[in-house]
Amino acid sequence: MPSGALTDERDVREAYSAHSAELYGFAVRSLGDAGLAEEAVQETFLRAWRAGERFDPEIGSLRTWLFAILRNVVIDLGRARASRPGLADGGIEPSVEPFDQALLSWQIEEAMRRIGEQHRQVLVETYYRGRPYAEVAEELGVPEGTVKSRVYYGLRALRVVLEEMGYED
Amino acid sequence: MKTDGCRQWRESLGAYALGHLDGEERARLEAHLDGCAECRAEAESLGAVVTLLPHADPERFGPAPAPPAELGKRIAAKIGAERRARRQRRRLRLGIGLGGVAAAAAAAVLAIFVLTSDEGTGPEQHVTFRSLPPGVRIGATLEPQAFGTEIHMYVKGIRSGTLCRVYMRGPSGASVSAGTFRYRWGGDAAATLSAALDLSRARALIVHAGDRTFVAPLGGAETALHSHYQEEEPT
Repeated sequence: MPSGALTDERDVREAYSAHSAELYGFAVRSLGDAGLAEEAVQETFLRAWRAGERFDPEIGSLRTWLFAILRNVVIDLGRARASRPGLADGGIEPSVEPFDQALLSWQIEEAMRRIGEQHRQVLVETYYRGRPYAEVAEELGVPEGTVKSRVYYGLRALRVVLEEMGYED
Repeated sequence: MKTDGCRQWRESLGAYALGHLDGEERARLEAHLDGCAECRAEAESLGAVVTLLPHADPERFGPAPAPPAELGKRIAAKIGAERRARRQRRRLRLGIGLGGVAAAAAAAVLAIFVLTSDEGTGPEQHVTFRSLPPGVRIGATLEPQAFGTEIHMYVKGIRSGTLCRVYMRGPSGASVSAGTFRYRWGGDAAATLSAALDLSRARALIVHAGDRTFVAPLGGAETALHSHYQEEEPT
């Protein structure tokens, strides 16, 4: 058994406190339903515990492993739901977005949440809303050069956060 | 050529990577990049981050929903329950015909319904007695060990305080003691015993519970669905 294997309940508790928020946040985004997301996260940790001996930190991070399990859980939930068409009428249609695409999107959104408000703000205004720097600067009451440097430090912060999150391209 | 002079260029690299610099400013920056490997590397690195931006939805930059506080406890409870169930499963359910009828106690011959199960699931061997009076269960899981056989006994539903003696019978018909235990009502009635007889050679598992004797054939022995055993004295 590799050292670091997830075999006792304390390991699972630690894994839960480190990664449940991310897994849950993503599950909500991916499944579009809080109840299903809870189910998915619960099933993910149960499966992780059952297969705990197979987790080897030499091969990949715990986070990557948990997301891989969640991926299977989400697929299984999607299948289960497909076989219960009545549920689809309730408005909790599964996200049709493929899992990996959804995971990529969610990671970048999560990174955006983690950078500073000022950095996120200028990236939203200049990049996502396509507004001129001068206009954004005036609205914020800062020189245009400050908007520009915030854009630079914002992208750098995003890069650091993505690395911290274990983003692998 | 990393100097303080780079700082002003650096702070334009974000807008540059986003494609936001106008023609003249971009041309000046690119001229600097031509001569500055460090700024060029930084521009490329930021460029890689920029390629990710279209995947995100700015409507979703608000706080992510947090998992409900009780979810962690619920998961811990599920895991605890599953661990206990797993342990329980290791104990076999062996039913004893502890005959609900008092008269049966006097009978020297007991009818036993025997069924071995879970064959081939590993080196362990499970023994199950079926067709029991309601509420009575006795089981065993046998594990081959270097010293012989480890026996996990599981008992439920017999009179509290009953002394149980366990034996294994070998191919010659001689019995080897595996030890004794006392069933206590309400307690964890699992007992781990050991017998100096290889599981592969064992032919029967014998349990004397109070004044009753129960025999389950093992291994190569024919499975008896309704066989009669003479009550025997332990050797």
